[in-house]
Amino acid sequence: MLLKNKNVIITGTARGMGKAMLTEFAKNGANIWACARKETPEFLKNISEISKEYNVEIKPIFFDLTDLTAMKSAIIQIRNEKKNIDALINNAGITYNALFAMSDSENLKKQFDVNFFSLFTFTQYIVKIMSRQKYGSIVNIASSAAFDGNPGKSVYGASKAAVVAMTKSIAAELGEIGIRANCIAPGVTDTDMIDTMPKHIVEDAVNHTDLLRIAKPSEIATTAVFLASDLSSYVTGQTIIVSGGLK
Amino acid sequence: MLLKDKTAVITGCMQGIGLATMDLFAKEGADIFACAQFKTEEFENHIKELKNQFNINIIPIYFDLEDDESIKQAVKQIAAEKKAINTLVNIAGITKDALFPMITRDQMFKVFNINFFSQIVFSQYIVKLMLKSGGGSIINTASVTAFEGNKGQLVYGAAKSAWISAIKTMSIELAPKGIRVNGIAPGVIKTAMTENLPQEAINEQMRKCSLKRLGNPEEVAGVVCYLASDLSSYVTGQIIKVDGGISKCY
Repeated sequence: MLLKNKNVIITGTARGMGKAMLTEFAKNGANIWACARKETPEFLKNISEISKEYNVEIKPIFFDLTDLTAMKSAIIQIRNEKKNIDALINNAGITYNALFAMSDSENLKKQFDVNFFSLFTFTQYIVKIMSRQKYGSIVNIASSAAFDGNPGKSVYGASKAAVVAMTKSIAAELGEIGIRANCIAPGVTDTDMIDTMPKHIVEDAVNHTDLLRIAKPSEIATTAVFLASDLSSYVTGQTIIVSGGLK
Repeated sequence: MLLKDKTAVITGCMQGIGLATMDLFAKEGADIFACAQFKTEEFENHIKELKNQFNINIIPIYFDLEDDESIKQAVKQIAAEKKAINTLVNIAGITKDALFPMITRDQMFKVFNINFFSQIVFSQYIVKLMLKSGGGSIINTASVTAFEGNKGQLVYGAAKSAWISAIKTMSIELAPKGIRVNGIAPGVIKTAMTENLPQEAINEQMRKCSLKRLGNPEEVAGVVCYLASDLSSYVTGQIIKVDGGISKCY
């Protein structure tokens, strides 16, 4: 178990990669603050099942990332537990597919609001706590779209490239006090997000991977476990591309 | 245990990163062919201790990467054990530092021969065995020098760059057959290789290093372990820098 008795915050845990992270982190012994936008019976049932199966504590935290007041309450809720925070996994995000000429500024702002500005502010609050502890690992979920420049991804890709740049600066600023910051850039992964993409584009992308298949969400989650764990204690400022060798 | 039921071939096990990798792999439950250039009592005793402590099997294999015949003999010895090999970790390597005008052809040949040609040849043989056992994971050792350059390390860096390119092509060719191929690029790690570096050179690297400290061999072994394990099942064709943030390039 790589994360026995460690406490981690994971955002976007209702579905997709975040949901898979709950299982993989719990399996490795971590206690989790599971952040999600809204409370649903399925979500509560899921976390209670995982928590029982792996004998870890999972606390649900509900807030909308773009609502600063709600974010602050969430932070207070976490801080009031007076526990150390070993890792923060910024996983929540939204996607937008549109050709450059057709992309509208409203969606541009919305993408950056969720994928970058909110992530930035939330991380600032958590880093305050980590700075006092003098340790912590920050794992940001970017995307291969940050590097690949595929059609339709000018907005989404740019928001993820911003996350990569921010992560490198955080690593450079906070490394000295023992805080590491890295990104994961998933390729084509079996989540709701790929349902937003035309089928032929997904197929084409899979044909351009070395492994010739899409990723299971759990395969992204395990790299997050690695980056949160001490196995990666000398890795910082990096982006690990988990894409099956996508070209 | 991350590597239970895996059998790994690791080169360069005598010291430094290779030794730390052997230790961690043993702890994580792998059986190991521990390759080193020559036999010593200390090495054999260490292997015995690991076997007893972690209840795994380790077979020492001795060969010289500069000697094709001894590489062949080593592979025969490994093949004769008839174990299903699913992990290859190429760590053994040398450095011969010299400034650009002073590099001799012999030095260039020696560094490329050990750090690249022989490792490719050895990997070819081991891949044949891995294909029989249904695939696995190969981890090669590059260096941050390949990305950043470093005074006096033209040849070393060039040979490591050759590996980076080879990793990408091996991944394209071998991934469809179930073998993932990745690399690590260590920064300044506390080993015999960096022991004699002038303090000034270390300070220069530490200025660039986000964590402001040298890495331990165990910390490199941790990343090798991730790449060997199923934690990285969708990671192939990648080079992971283990440098505390020295290199800022992609």
